[in-house]
Amino acid sequence: MTSFGSGLRTLSIATVATMALALSLAFFYAPLDADQGFVQKIFYLHVPLAIVALLGFVAGGVFAVLHLRSGDSRWDAYSYVSIHMSVIFGVAVLVTGSIWAKASWGHWWVWDEPTLVSFLIVFLMYATYYPFRYAIEDRERQARYASVFAITAGAFVPLNFMAVRMAESLVHPRVFATANGGLPGEMMLTFLVSLAAMGLLWTTLVKFELTAKSASGQLKRLRRALDAPAPDGTSRVAPEVS
Amino acid sequence: MLALLSALPIGAPALPLDEAGKYVAGAYVVFLVLLVVYLAIMAAKVQRIERELRELAGFAEQGGHHPGMPGREAEDMPGIDETKPSSGPGHDLTPPGPDDGRADHVEGVPRG
Repeated sequence: MTSFGSGLRTLSIATVATMALALSLAFFYAPLDADQGFVQKIFYLHVPLAIVALLGFVAGGVFAVLHLRSGDSRWDAYSYVSIHMSVIFGVAVLVTGSIWAKASWGHWWVWDEPTLVSFLIVFLMYATYYPFRYAIEDRERQARYASVFAITAGAFVPLNFMAVRMAESLVHPRVFATANGGLPGEMMLTFLVSLAAMGLLWTTLVKFELTAKSASGQLKRLRRALDAPAPDGTSRVAPEVS
Repeated sequence: MLALLSALPIGAPALPLDEAGKYVAGAYVVFLVLLVVYLAIMAAKVQRIERELRELAGFAEQGGHHPGMPGREAEDMPGIDETKPSSGPGHDLTPPGPDDGRADHVEGVPRG
């Protein structure tokens, strides 16, 4: 049996510690941005969330490839949970990005900004993963078709990212700017710690959900086994146990 | 010593919680709320699993005296065989189908 829960406690502690460190660095160590001022602190949350969400979508595609290659339903579960977690992170990206846009640009949303719109497209594309998946009743087909979706969409994510980088309009601030020398050391350190914290959070939550899903699956199997008709024809699950 | 104190958060200047402060606070609070909601849903799910497991364990213990159910048979069911491979037809780890009670499996995500 695969033990999804092994190391979860250590991972959780590491996540909490890294997140606390990232928050401390963001608010008490990193200097104020000369251009944006205090609003720039949102980026230590928003940008790592976006990067991890996009990488999670790609990871979902990689797990889907493994599922199609091996037929092992475990990889399908990995792919599903990765996409699920990245969609949740995506909600946070869109909301925190909108808050930043309102503070900086005076608008909650700007439709002619490629970075925003492209992320929204990716998010909406993955939002269709659920109705697509659950529209198929047969488990085998469901898993197979969902994997094909995850691979196609996962390949679209880096292509979309590159297309946006090549776009003309660059109103959206770049964290790793190259033209003007990039981030100062303190900001870069804070950003990298924040990115590590968000990556750890994503991994912990994925592991947590896989563990819960695995336990739920084991429980169902146990219940099914107990519910099977006994040799004398009586149910092996008493009616009062429900 | 002064250098150490200056490195501590208490030595830092007060945060400029003016006009921009409420947006920054808003962004971090939204993130925290999302996280707490997700964890609350997962905690409810884990509690439900724990409760069902307790019920099944209780039933299995009673099974020794239940007509038609030999004593330790419930503990030797194939469904809880720890040596069974994690994949294969009997391994129920795939995300649920439409008839499996979606609310139990997908948390905190709009279904489109």
